[in-house]
Amino acid sequence: MSTESDEGRVELLQGTLDLLILRTLLFGRAHGHAIVKAIEQNSEDVLQVEQGSLYPALHRLIKRGWIAVEEGVSENNRRAKYYRLTAKGRRQLRAETTRWEKLARAIGRILNPAAGEGRP
Amino acid sequence: MTRRRALGGLEEDIRDHIERETQDNIERGMTPAEARHAALRKFGNVTRAMEETRDVWRWIWLEQLLQDLGYSLRSLRRNPRFAAVAALTLALGIGMTTAVFSVIDTVLLKPLAYPNPERLVWMGEYDPNLQRDIAMFQDFSDWRKQARSYDGMAAYGYRQAVIGTGQGSSDVTAVYVAGDFWRITGARATVGRLFGEEEADCVVLSWDLFQREFGGDARRVGQPLVMNGRPARIAGVLPRSFRFQFPMWWTAAHPQPVEAYISPPPPAERMVQFTQVVAPLKPGIRIEQAQAELESLEKHLVEEAGREPPIPKVRIGPLQEKLAGGSRRALMVLLAAGGFVLLIAAVNVANLLLARATVRRKEVAIRAALGAGRMRVMGQLLAESVLLALAGGAAGLLLARWAIASLVRISPFAIPRLAEAAIDTRVLAFTLGISLLTAILFGAGPAFSLWRANLHDALKDGARSSPGLAGQRTRQMLAAVELSLAIVLLTGAGLMLKSFARMNEHAPGFVPEKVIVMKVRFAGPQYEEKPAQQAYLRELLRRVESAPGVLSAGVSTWFLFDDAPAFPADTTPGQTHLIRVNAASPGYLKALGMTLVKGRWLRASDSAGAMLNESMARQAFGAMDPLGRQLSIPQPATVVGVLADVKYSKLDAAAAPEASVGFEQVPPLNGTEIAVRTAGSAAALAPALRKLVTDIDPSQPVYDVKTLDRALAESIAPRRFNLFLLGVFAVSALVLAAVGIYGVMAYSVAERTREIGVRIALGARRGQVATMVVREALPIAAAGIAAGLAATWALTRLMATLLYDVQATDPGTFLTVAILLGITALAACAAPALRAASIDPTVALRYE
Repeated sequence: MSTESDEGRVELLQGTLDLLILRTLLFGRAHGHAIVKAIEQNSEDVLQVEQGSLYPALHRLIKRGWIAVEEGVSENNRRAKYYRLTAKGRRQLRAETTRWEKLARAIGRILNPAAGEGRP
Repeated sequence: MTRRRALGGLEEDIRDHIERETQDNIERGMTPAEARHAALRKFGNVTRAMEETRDVWRWIWLEQLLQDLGYSLRSLRRNPRFAAVAALTLALGIGMTTAVFSVIDTVLLKPLAYPNPERLVWMGEYDPNLQRDIAMFQDFSDWRKQARSYDGMAAYGYRQAVIGTGQGSSDVTAVYVAGDFWRITGARATVGRLFGEEEADCVVLSWDLFQREFGGDARRVGQPLVMNGRPARIAGVLPRSFRFQFPMWWTAAHPQPVEAYISPPPPAERMVQFTQVVAPLKPGIRIEQAQAELESLEKHLVEEAGREPPIPKVRIGPLQEKLAGGSRRALMVLLAAGGFVLLIAAVNVANLLLARATVRRKEVAIRAALGAGRMRVMGQLLAESVLLALAGGAAGLLLARWAIASLVRISPFAIPRLAEAAIDTRVLAFTLGISLLTAILFGAGPAFSLWRANLHDALKDGARSSPGLAGQRTRQMLAAVELSLAIVLLTGAGLMLKSFARMNEHAPGFVPEKVIVMKVRFAGPQYEEKPAQQAYLRELLRRVESAPGVLSAGVSTWFLFDDAPAFPADTTPGQTHLIRVNAASPGYLKALGMTLVKGRWLRASDSAGAMLNESMARQAFGAMDPLGRQLSIPQPATVVGVLADVKYSKLDAAAAPEASVGFEQVPPLNGTEIAVRTAGSAAALAPALRKLVTDIDPSQPVYDVKTLDRALAESIAPRRFNLFLLGVFAVSALVLAAVGIYGVMAYSVAERTREIGVRIALGARRGQVATMVVREALPIAAAGIAAGLAATWALTRLMATLLYDVQATDPGTFLTVAILLGITALAACAAPALRAASIDPTVALRYE
């Protein structure tokens, strides 16, 4: 694939990767590559995860106790590490989501004041 | 745990991740090479990703600390001279404090190597004449039988023992031990066995003695040998680790370790035997309870025996305290002195760091500008101080090791148990502790001054590092503090030195360097009777007196009563004086250098004559003329002469009341002391004299051959120990304080090079410039000396007990020290003043 296909993609804001990882794991456990792929596909390939920063982010979450790591066997019978949301992580995800929505709404209002209050 | 599970196989995880991406790419239709390339590109820098992932788990502060230490190490390596001066200065302070602590730890803190050391007590009756606590052997037997407060009780006493060995005879320091001595000390024999309570004429050897004199030959154990001319038997040998740790009052006169343990004296002798008593208290019994019991017991004993009151005043005390005895105060004073040296060293290094801080402001500013937090910068500066202190501490340990070894070599018996002092884990922990404490002490101030500094100004180029008046004032103040600390130490040492001089002041005519003393012990049955002894002594005197280089010579029974209780002398009915009685030949008193005050010398023909020293004459007869008066000591004697008081056995005690009688007037002796006055150097004549005496009868051991001078010096070994240490501390303090003043002045001159250049260019004369520098130093010196004298005035009182015949606030010493410090301070700023005077204005003005 060449560079032109990268156009139209948006780099992730700092700190949002954590939120997206938690959100992705809400559907069930996944390994590293699957998480990236899910984020990219769910954002219809708009969001581009800088894959190198995925692992530090995962480990940060493990250290805070929001996700847990477990050994598993992947679909093609290979050993792989699976990441799973913990109860603590679930709570964190709820709080973060609320905050993010507030933030997004606020920024949206500033950027597009014409849009009425009532509109979702 | 979590960390290990998460981080385990990180590399594989990433590889796996990239492989999956590659696979996806192939499925999208790329060639395998393209797919892999794209996957790698998308992932980014693998190494950095791994590094960052690991960082998540790292102990940030530890990493930073290591980083800081590494940075500090490089920074110090770039300034090796600064680092060396600072570390050595600290080493001096830390080393000395460590050495003293090690001694204190051994002598005061470490428990005795016996079972239940905390319960061990001594007991006895204080004898003001001897200045120690003693008990009668009979008391010991009664106490042991009747007292209920103790788990057993032991008695012991000093014995000089001549033991027949394979190679002849050997003179060793021994103790007789009675009661539960072996049980209380927890001793076990490594060879043979320990003798029982009722066994007589047995000896147990120390490991050292057994190896030295018997070659460690186990077959000798159980065999007979001759001890002090009597048949005895070697019962067993103690292990190498066994130490005699009870109070040894005799070490001043016999500074050898106890090497033989012999059975108690036969019952007939016990009645008049003085002894030392130790015992472990029963668990739960307090000293006061034991004391009360002993007092009522003593009262009961006196009543039972039908004796007249007063009831002797008995005392009980913890053994450990008794052992440390007088050395506790001295050691505390020395520890304080060591602490002062350390403080001066720390202040010195703080001054060095402050001076360097000016230079380093730019470096710190750059680090701050690059984003280092202030705490981080402070941390780095403190890390540098810690590193310096640790280097100083390590060097200090070496110094301490050397110092302890020298102390033990110079005066092993000055303080009980001193020889056991060593650097162990406790001492190491102490050294580490004070090193870190010192680092904070000298590092915090300079680090803080940099922290406060306006970093923006520092970065502006061309802004010359301005001296910072406040910084210079701080340095001056610190130098003054150093001076005042040094004054305290120097005055302390000065007072001790003066005490020492006072002790060594002798009455005119008393020249201990020209007197040899030696001892002979009668051994074997042929010398048990008085006529044989007298014949031997007459022959000895004849030979010695006619030897070349001998001015006069005499014999005395003196050493038999050496530090032992004297006979009461009934001068007036109902009045008893405890005195020391010396049975001597006429030549003995003259040989020692005694001078006649009144009356005449004893003659060989005097069968019932006595001579008194002035103290005795004053005590017994007051203002009356003692000549011709009667004394009973205990045989009746007539006073024929009065001698001047001479301190010839103990330098740090006033002359004790004494009476001398003819040596024919005493019962059979165990031995004799010989005094010889020589025309030339006594030390040179000693070997010849020893041989001369040995030749009379080689079976009679001659020992303790030394000049009186040396014997006297040994009597004040603890004081010499204190003086030596305090002297070393004081000299170190003086040097450090001088370096401190020099540093401050030299730095001030270097900083003012431009200003001085301008002054000279404008016509200031060089003398004026030099005077200016000195004038700047004067207030520092004056303030330091004044503050120091005030502190000394308050502090030297604490060492009053260590002084002899000198006031703790002796004005002469204070004045001398103040003048000495003043001169030192002036000398220290001479070099900076000269440098200031020789500044070349053309160079200085170009100097940037």
